[in-house]
Amino acid sequence: MQDTVKTWLTEGTVDIFLGYKMVEGHPIPHGFSRNCLDEIDEMVTGPARYSLEKFATQLLQIHPEAKIGILARDCTQRALNVLTIWQQISPGQIKTLQVNCCPSPLGSNTDCSYLQPAETGTYKAAHGVDGSQSLQTLEQMPEEERFDRWMYEFQKCIKCYGCRNVCPMCFCRECSLENKDLVGNGHLPPDIPIFHLVRAVHMAGRCIDCGLCEEACPAEIPLRMLYRKINDMMGTLFDYHTGSSPDQSPFSLLGDKPSSGLPPMTAELSKNK
Amino acid sequence: MECKFVPSVCSYCGTGCGILFQVVDGRLIGTLPMKTHPVNQGKLCIKGWNLHEHINSELRLKNPLIKTFGRFSRVNWDTAIRYTADRLQKIIKKHGPDSVGVLVSAKATNEENYLAQKFARAVIGTNNVDHCARL
Repeated sequence: MQDTVKTWLTEGTVDIFLGYKMVEGHPIPHGFSRNCLDEIDEMVTGPARYSLEKFATQLLQIHPEAKIGILARDCTQRALNVLTIWQQISPGQIKTLQVNCCPSPLGSNTDCSYLQPAETGTYKAAHGVDGSQSLQTLEQMPEEERFDRWMYEFQKCIKCYGCRNVCPMCFCRECSLENKDLVGNGHLPPDIPIFHLVRAVHMAGRCIDCGLCEEACPAEIPLRMLYRKINDMMGTLFDYHTGSSPDQSPFSLLGDKPSSGLPPMTAELSKNK
Repeated sequence: MECKFVPSVCSYCGTGCGILFQVVDGRLIGTLPMKTHPVNQGKLCIKGWNLHEHINSELRLKNPLIKTFGRFSRVNWDTAIRYTADRLQKIIKKHGPDSVGVLVSAKATNEENYLAQKFARAVIGTNNVDHCARL
């Protein structure tokens, strides 16, 4: 792996390679360049996971012509697909070096920090939303109970904006979460559930289920579950599968012409009746 | 083009969260929580997430200021320390050492805080020492 990165840098395939370096026992992200090729021997792949694709997007805002190489897991690849669709990166501008991903029954060798979600405590199991269960299990609960459980989770929010700051898909220059008309400031918890729902709505067709937001949340709100629901709706209503390919534009998913009779939408509505 | 991440410790409170400063081309552009840090385990509060902003802020104080006739004027460190020492000596002489209190800070290092309490007890001669983390 180190040799591949060295070759890429010396041959000019990439100008900078984003990976991880061990610094005093901590794997921290680092941009390897051809000026310090010796550093590449210290490159590691895990176990901590940072939003390398976000760093790449930020670098491209400063150096639009740069060619960037990054260590990529499955979620990184999905993120790059969505970033291409939203025209934050041009295809071919980012070259990926695939490494092992989250643990699964299919792969024994894993490099990812998202191992198993933390065990759910008894209080959270009784009053909150257990993030380790499946979306289907959660939806079997009565609607009112689900709402109460989500509100219990939301009221823990300390409004650190960590979920937004760490999110590789949050590239907007202006953020609705800072709009005073939508989310008031100066009190805690923030306006709930509107704060979390505004973010959830904006994750439609964007969330690539990397789980970085949930890892960064000091209040342990099961955000991944919330955005999974949004993506599930994108799938059932619009047949849109976020991150699965770099050519599925969100602007054309409704068809070329505006229409009131969207076949998948009507199907879903009649199913609910 | 340079992109590096410098590990550090958040200076906002006494918790001591591990952070990474994101540096691009020698300019600080962001703060991240350190995932493997034993204290914060990849999480931060809103103050920690915005640490880089006060470093780049135009309002940041870079010189000591002395207030004379209601207005701040910029002075060098020697003048500021001399001025503070003179004033402290005068106050202690006139009102006694217990007329002085020393407030230290969680933003300072452990060693600096130790020196501050030693300065209060051994130099000024008072036990009036307090700290913002002693909430």
